[in-house]
Amino acid sequence: MRRHWRAASLLVPIGALAAGFAASPTTAAAARPHVRHASASGTLTISNESGSLWTCNFNPFNAAVYQEAAGFVYEPLVFVNALQSGKTTPWLASSYKWSNGNKVLTFTIRKGVKWSDGKPLTAADVAFTFNMLKKNPALDLNSIWSVLSSVVQKGDNVVLTFKSPAVPYFYYVADQVFIVPQHIWAKVKNPVTYPDTTPVGSGPYTVSKCTGQNITYTANAKYWQPGLPKIETVQYPAFTSNDPANVYLATGQAQWGGQFIPSIKSFYLAKSPNNHYWFPPVANVSLFINQKVAPLNQLPVRQAMAFAINRSRVAQLGEYGYEPAANQTGIVTPTFSSWYDKAAAAKYGYTYNPAKAISILKKAGYKKGSNGYFAKGGKELAFSVINVGGNSDWVADLQIIQQEFKAVGIKLTVNNLTGTDFDNDLYKGNFQLGFDNESGGPAPYYELRQLLYSGNTAPIGQLATTNYERYSNPATDKLFNEYASTTSSAQQHAIVNQLEHVMLSDVPVIPVTESVDWFQYNTASFSGWVTEKNPYAQPAPYNVPDVEVMLLHLRAK
Amino acid sequence: MSYALRRLGFFVVTLWVALTINFALPRLMPGNPAIAMMARFRGRVNGNVLKALEIAFGVNTKQGLVSQYFSYLGNTLTGHFGTSLTFYPNSVSQVVFSALPWTLGIVGVTTVLAFALGTLVGMTSGWRRGSVLDSVLPPVFVITSAFPYFWIALLAILLFPITLHVLPIGFGYSNTDTIGWTWHFVGDVLYHAVLPALTILVTSIGGWILTMRNNMITTLSEDYVRMARAKGLSPLRIMFDYAGRNAILPNLTGFAMSLGFVVSGAILVEYVFSYPGVGFLLLQAVQNEDYPLMQTLFLLITVAVLVAILVMDFVTMLLDPRTRSES
Repeated sequence: MRRHWRAASLLVPIGALAAGFAASPTTAAAARPHVRHASASGTLTISNESGSLWTCNFNPFNAAVYQEAAGFVYEPLVFVNALQSGKTTPWLASSYKWSNGNKVLTFTIRKGVKWSDGKPLTAADVAFTFNMLKKNPALDLNSIWSVLSSVVQKGDNVVLTFKSPAVPYFYYVADQVFIVPQHIWAKVKNPVTYPDTTPVGSGPYTVSKCTGQNITYTANAKYWQPGLPKIETVQYPAFTSNDPANVYLATGQAQWGGQFIPSIKSFYLAKSPNNHYWFPPVANVSLFINQKVAPLNQLPVRQAMAFAINRSRVAQLGEYGYEPAANQTGIVTPTFSSWYDKAAAAKYGYTYNPAKAISILKKAGYKKGSNGYFAKGGKELAFSVINVGGNSDWVADLQIIQQEFKAVGIKLTVNNLTGTDFDNDLYKGNFQLGFDNESGGPAPYYELRQLLYSGNTAPIGQLATTNYERYSNPATDKLFNEYASTTSSAQQHAIVNQLEHVMLSDVPVIPVTESVDWFQYNTASFSGWVTEKNPYAQPAPYNVPDVEVMLLHLRAK
Repeated sequence: MSYALRRLGFFVVTLWVALTINFALPRLMPGNPAIAMMARFRGRVNGNVLKALEIAFGVNTKQGLVSQYFSYLGNTLTGHFGTSLTFYPNSVSQVVFSALPWTLGIVGVTTVLAFALGTLVGMTSGWRRGSVLDSVLPPVFVITSAFPYFWIALLAILLFPITLHVLPIGFGYSNTDTIGWTWHFVGDVLYHAVLPALTILVTSIGGWILTMRNNMITTLSEDYVRMARAKGLSPLRIMFDYAGRNAILPNLTGFAMSLGFVVSGAILVEYVFSYPGVGFLLLQAVQNEDYPLMQTLFLLITVAVLVAILVMDFVTMLLDPRTRSES
């Protein structure tokens, strides 16, 4: 949705990314009678820049709207918490088991779960959902059928058979596929274009009213977890730009935010002692280095750049200190600290060290010219970096990096592009350096795989889904395949340690800062929020299905 | 009559050229709609979503340009605008018609108001040159018109909703409202329209005042005005029927243009106030490379402007006998 939260510039709305309108200003589900939930009370308002008005569609397989449907209305089989290194909580599946060399995954479907129309949820619904994604690849947002070979129902069980060992795919099949009722979706002619304006799900809320401007969710009286949810009504207004969304939070009109707020201390915290925020880091914002472009394919050049960047200065000045500095292992700390290989990081010692950067370049045969930039064979060390111009914080980051590169004798030109131009160049490998983040996942493996697995990339000129820098190393690929075949935590840690070595020795990308989940909350009328001490779910309203876990923990005071 | 025919012929040719440019321009943009949508979701979705989007949008099932052009012409003339990619799977007509009333309401009414008020003020201050009215109103409004729109709008938000706690900070209506023809809802819509409407008015009225005042002054020195005075006609009649009627002619074409552009919405207004209108839709269509939506909106604007100009040509024909006697 959305929303580019990074379009933070206050006074130049014309340049920002967001835009919107109302697709169907009609009430979606007004006709459905609502049995008031016995124990639920209170109205919670979410403030999260959506960048467009709501379409009042709730198809959980439509990338444009699934964040308003999943978690609220539709649920996954198992909840996987990224903030606790992928800790699992059984959800619609009461248990699961790997077998046959981690190629077969069996879910036992929970009994007693009802759809919001009163019909029971069964294993048949689950198998139907997976096979619908197979029939309609446009619905398969995580490409799970690239690794699955079959999904069949066996009594109360659903058996997923994979083409090869697929342990990490558990996250995508168990946490990211939202189960829909067969008795409704089987009648849908084309599920890809199905708007699903009156969604029937198993989740804690139903959509009681929807206009282009606001979604009203009401507690589902038939919800399967006894006594939950405790919050009766959730209002989700559509904010087309950052400013009104931030004002809603500052004035207390909204209690739960997923917003980038400039000067958060004076604009938000100072307004009320009940206002709080926490920004847990989840992925790296990195400098992607195109491995197919000379001289970026030379290790010394990449190493010199890694030593030249003062990451904490970028985090402090460019990111207002909201996003912490990253490290060259690619492990996001403190979120995934248990995976961080301290010894290896210390051995390579990629701290800010301009003198070291200069000596590496000199050793590699580069000579400083009269203009202060290094050159070899008449070719100056000069690169361009592409960036999304609407992300004002990233523009600031790159200005700092530009100065730091200049200090060690590398010339950097910053090309601030529109989102679409940027993606077009990034996906097709039409860049020298690129500044962006991957989406990550519930363990470091996911981001490292997005960054380094050669199967994700594509030749220059063709679209790559991740691994935009075109890194390719058979030994690294082997590590990812080994990881996929083990459920042993010790072995997974050993493999990730080796991947950290790849990041340190090859420097295929340079992590600069850590991207965070934006999360503001007001404790005046609600308690039970995610906190740094109790990170039971990812806390931004756009994290699904985490949004549901948070809603189930909240209580009106 | 030949004048009217020539105008009609001009209208048809311009329309065809506009349609063709409308077809070509979006296709010259880099990227494809699936990439544009990924840009919109940056960091929120997995990279694999790109594949699903490409299949859903039919990005790689390419049709030749020529056949695309003819099916485009055919569909446009028969009113089939296709499916919006940004608001997939909603149809373009559905999308546009849900935004259009908001824009027509607020931008349309303020445009007419700005023209009417501006013309009146300009006419009066031209008539009473050097009066208190003439030395206060035109300069003030010319200054407010010179401010960037979003600056005025943000200032208004800071002043009214945030500092004085009156009027809403944005949106077309309260989030908890049910849309319908009830007094409560209509009242709420008007209440939400106050700030956007006032800010548009303040920033657009100056131009009308200034041009009308200047036209008025030029006209007042004409012989037929002196003749009317000599005949002892009432001052009001001279002001409206003799001077005003002639002074307004050049402004009419400008008014026609701005009436036509009403359907393009006011992007900044709608952006600052999170107002659910067409301007935003257009911005979003462009950013998401939503060809069907973009083309429909451009078409709508082009046709509206052309029709408005055509109508004004006929109005000018009625008001100004000279255009009729052209040989």
